[in-house]
Amino acid sequence: MFPKLDPLLHSELRLAVMSVLAGVEEADFTYLKKQTGATSGNLSVQIDKLTAAGYITVEKGFKGKMPRTACRITPAGQEAFSNYVDALKEYLSAGK
Amino acid sequence: MEQNKEMTAQQSLQLITETFNKSRKGILRNSAKYFMLWGALLTLTSLVIYLLWHLTGKPQWNFLWFAMPVIGYPAAALMGKYDVAVPQNEVSKMLSGVWRVFGAFAITLSTVAVFLVPMNVSLIIVIIMGLAECMSGVLLKNWPVIICGFLLGVCGAVFAMLVKSEAQLLVFTLGGVLLLVTGLIMKLQYK
Repeated sequence: MFPKLDPLLHSELRLAVMSVLAGVEEADFTYLKKQTGATSGNLSVQIDKLTAAGYITVEKGFKGKMPRTACRITPAGQEAFSNYVDALKEYLSAGK
Repeated sequence: MEQNKEMTAQQSLQLITETFNKSRKGILRNSAKYFMLWGALLTLTSLVIYLLWHLTGKPQWNFLWFAMPVIGYPAAALMGKYDVAVPQNEVSKMLSGVWRVFGAFAITLSTVAVFLVPMNVSLIIVIIMGLAECMSGVLLKNWPVIICGFLLGVCGAVFAMLVKSEAQLLVFTLGGVLLLVTGLIMKLQYK
């Protein structure tokens, strides 16, 4: 019996966002946009979904006079991401 | 990138690996420019002080060393200001920590040597600089940087013991060039 893949993470853009955030302390919205190549609107929607699930936190503030949105992965998000990767590995090893 | 695209397990793992590596490379490539900034500044400062000391015979020109952090820190802050805010990962944080510790030692020891206890500060600084360079190479898993740091520390220490007065400054010129080379290696490694 294979573990079920987390549907929230099994989406291209959300998975890319989580992959970036898993390797850094926190990342700006502009950086995530550049790394994923997504549009602002699309990225905003997916970030909202990840926030609602408790996988990331979003902090709005200012850097100098410029508005800044910083995203950070939560411990729950780290665990979900880790479980997702483990599940993928199981799928792949079973397919060999 | 589409949010609802169906992915196979293979594609998902590939996406994770690619995104993670792309981000990691970008972060380390961003760190390279700070190595180049401090390398250029160190090369320039040491050469200017060497020439002024050599031409006038006055060691007081060494006070110009204190201009280096005064120029370097605002320049580094300015460089970061106009970038898309690149985050820090574990490696870039440790690299930054290693060089901050080096900076703290270098500034404190230079101040102590000038005002309190005279010592061969060139010898000490070149050894800790070589060590910091070596540790950077270990963090970056880059053998050329490790070897450059080792050579800087050992050869620089021997050179600092053998030569006197203004000629010792050329050790720092070599150190500056090595920092520049490290920055260039990082830029190429994380292209």
